[in-house]
Amino acid sequence: MSSSVAGVVSPTRQALRRVRRDRSARFGLVLVVVLIVVAAASPLLVKLSGQDAFTYHIDLLDPVRGNAPRGSFGGVSAEHWFGVEPLTGRDLFSIVVLGLRTSLVIAIVVTLVTTVIGTLLGITAAYVGGWFDAVLSRFLDFLFGFPQLVFMIALGIIVPTSVPRPLLLIGVLSFFGWAGLARLIRAQARSLVTREFVEAARSVGSSGWWVITRELLPNLLGPVLVIATLAIPGYIGAEAALSFLGVGVPPPTPSLGRSISDSIVWVYTGTDPWFMVFPGIALFTAVLGFTLLGDGVRDAFDVRLRRTH
Amino acid sequence: MADPILEVHDLRVTFDTEGGLVPAVDGIDFAVAPGKTLAIVGESGSGKSVSSAAVMGILPSNAEVKGEVLLDGRELVGLPDDELRKIRGNDIALVFQDALSALNPYYTVGWQVAEAYRLHHAVSKKAAFKRAVELLDKVGIPDAARRAKSYPHEFSGGMRQRVVIAMALVNNPRVLIADEPTTALDVTVQAQIMQLLADVQEEFGTALVLISHDLGVVAEVADDVLVMYAGRAAERGTVRDLFYRAAHPYSLGLLGAMPRIDVPPKPRLTTIPGSPPSPGSIKTGCPFQPRCAYTERVGERCITERPELTPRPGEGDHEAACHLGRRPEVVS
Amino acid sequence: MPGLVWFVIRRLFSALLVMLALSLAVYLVFYAIPTDPALLACGKPCTPDRLEQARHFMQLDQSTMQQYLNFLKGIVAGRSYGEGAAVLHCDAPCFGYSFPLARPVSTLIADRFPVTASIALGAAVLWLVIGVSLGVLAALNRGRLLDRLAVGFALIGVSTPSFLFGLLAILVFGFWLNMVPVNGYVPLTESPVDWAWHLVTPWLVLAVLQASSYIRLTRAQMLEELNLDHITTARAKGAGERRVVVTHGLRGALVPIITLFGLDLGGLLGGAILTEKVFSMQGLGDLLIDSVGNLDVAVVVGVTLFAAFLVILANLVVDIVHGALDPRVSHG
Repeated sequence: MSSSVAGVVSPTRQALRRVRRDRSARFGLVLVVVLIVVAAASPLLVKLSGQDAFTYHIDLLDPVRGNAPRGSFGGVSAEHWFGVEPLTGRDLFSIVVLGLRTSLVIAIVVTLVTTVIGTLLGITAAYVGGWFDAVLSRFLDFLFGFPQLVFMIALGIIVPTSVPRPLLLIGVLSFFGWAGLARLIRAQARSLVTREFVEAARSVGSSGWWVITRELLPNLLGPVLVIATLAIPGYIGAEAALSFLGVGVPPPTPSLGRSISDSIVWVYTGTDPWFMVFPGIALFTAVLGFTLLGDGVRDAFDVRLRRTH
Repeated sequence: MADPILEVHDLRVTFDTEGGLVPAVDGIDFAVAPGKTLAIVGESGSGKSVSSAAVMGILPSNAEVKGEVLLDGRELVGLPDDELRKIRGNDIALVFQDALSALNPYYTVGWQVAEAYRLHHAVSKKAAFKRAVELLDKVGIPDAARRAKSYPHEFSGGMRQRVVIAMALVNNPRVLIADEPTTALDVTVQAQIMQLLADVQEEFGTALVLISHDLGVVAEVADDVLVMYAGRAAERGTVRDLFYRAAHPYSLGLLGAMPRIDVPPKPRLTTIPGSPPSPGSIKTGCPFQPRCAYTERVGERCITERPELTPRPGEGDHEAACHLGRRPEVVS
Repeated sequence: MPGLVWFVIRRLFSALLVMLALSLAVYLVFYAIPTDPALLACGKPCTPDRLEQARHFMQLDQSTMQQYLNFLKGIVAGRSYGEGAAVLHCDAPCFGYSFPLARPVSTLIADRFPVTASIALGAAVLWLVIGVSLGVLAALNRGRLLDRLAVGFALIGVSTPSFLFGLLAILVFGFWLNMVPVNGYVPLTESPVDWAWHLVTPWLVLAVLQASSYIRLTRAQMLEELNLDHITTARAKGAGERRVVVTHGLRGALVPIITLFGLDLGGLLGGAILTEKVFSMQGLGDLLIDSVGNLDVAVVVGVTLFAAFLVILANLVVDIVHGALDPRVSHG
């Protein structure tokens, strides 16, 4: 009983139109844009606030209360918009926005790396089949068997400190991250490979590279976009978790996860719960924004991502 | 005609969708007597299946049903769901088009047929299963006692359709609605299934509502025919009225689109140009007008005035909704 | 069912192969550690002589491959370090020996596992019940208030990192309301009530967060499932709404839900690490983090492999259960 759609609109266009109509997706998009702008402009914002993330302000702390910030809301003031860190008195606003930048940069870079690797390998496996597919599938099984978080923590001790930790984080998260994407894309691509237009392209002698980039890839753009968007909040959470456990971004680089970890004792003693609130809200908002957007994109493209088992 | 067991008067179904209210069925009437067969014919989207679902009361919640559906004189429209549930599958049963998707993949066919029986009879699971095996045997499933323990995907298309029929017959319904029961099957199996339905009708005096777009099947088994177009009745009459005295250009088009062996072959099958309008999209005039070859002969009326069903010459209550007064000659 | 038996045997075999490949990879990676664990055991002042002695005692002077073979051999036949009076025995199955803690790795894991398992299993039961029932309710009330509440709850749940939520829970229930203990673990054998009482908060924290993905999955699956033709069949049979939803709808949605549940259970060790840190419980995660700090490679390898074992075991069980739940899965 559907009325016919007037005019021909590309599926991507239609999907984008649907995202714009979906209220929660729109909200997610706004959140994501704001977060990205804040992260990108964070050095500017920090300068604007007249602070930096590294200068100690011992004078703002109250030695009687174990060096918790003086004043209410964790020492919020015209100079220190989110107050200051207990014990050191560093500006919390700077720490939060720069920490947000660290989180987003790592999550987005990892998503880009895993998306490119996973898509290419997934499509290639589906298209080439045979031994390549078999080897890749076994390797994916192997990666899925890996207790990833456990391994990432343990890696902390074997990689020399000369390797920058953000790079290590990106490397490790990417190494494990592409597997899930490759498996989903492979499943989607396999259903395409048998379809007529691919057969047709093959039969007129198109090269494998041509078929993959010109026939398969455009048709998989929707699923790829959906999986990638949905993966970002996962990486934000993973980076925060690792930093929370003390094996992520090392000090003094600001990190939301580490700040939250540092805040535990202040929360428990009740001396400065605000130390957790600001980084906590930033982290929550980041994950929420990308999740909402990812859900919206998924609904718009109407992609079914059933677990293939 | 004997007293009808199922009567439908001025049935209207409207769907409340994102794009506004969509009328899917726009006032149709039909009746079927025990042991008789009524065929409802039309292209997909003409409202055939929606009508049958409306009779069963199994339309989605965004559908609004108006009109009368009388089962043995009892009004079904507006009946509370508890009451309807006792009738569904018991007095009126439905045979679906696609047996593979109509059966639950997670349960054995015996379980599913037995479930239909248990829902209307207070019997033990064991007794119900026995009854299921009996029915599976009756519809021609070989080795029914053993096959009852198989899952739907383990059957061939024809055998699955038999299972669905067994499920519909297990409570000896008075009305059987078969929605394109043979579309998904190949020709020899089609004939077997239709024969099975005819046998059942004869044995139990079941009234059959056959929904189909296959006029070959209709010609063979139907007593009466209702031709639907865009949610309305285009023509109705006995099967002979339709095949020998078709009065609506759409019926003629359908007949022309059907291969026949009893008349000398034409150079090629004629088809109806264009496709059916979506329901509700034609507000005034005859819904068939854009595709009709006779519009020029009638003129303005086809565009401005909606044709109502009017009597035509024939055996019984032969009616057609067309401004063309007499029987049109075939134009090609 | 010989098909199923073969399937299980084949899957067991391939799981074993994956486990072997994993253990080799983990071993090679962790024994490439730039810092010498023997340095810690050597004490101060550490003369080259004593360092060599320690290396020999810990069997670190052999090639990595040889060490790996020793490790495999230890699992089957046990192992001993050193000789004479100072000899250290590690009985089969020996998964390595922690020199800093002076205990076999298997003993350490066995000591700590009950803590982690207590957290994980209790939470798992809770979140499965909460997640599936809320998901079903949301699907049945699609678009209405209950659905929006459940979806909103799920959204907040998936967007909140577990450690953040755990800290909040401790802050609110432990400190402000002073209702529950804020940390520590009491063994079940000591006092079941205290055991449960200390675990209530971690259970709820993990359950609420994990339930979110189950609400989302169940809701989506149910909506898909309830749109299928066989659901209409069930209604047409005269089945009541509850029967339609549970017996026919949920049955189909169960397969992906159970799949996710199995995989989540297998991966729980990862999540437990965070929970243990937040609630100061001495489980496997705590052991791992301590060992990383102590450069206790034997324990790191042991815990990593144990975690991998759980993941692979879960995958195996999921595959087998999947076959049992879905009659269409063939084991050929």
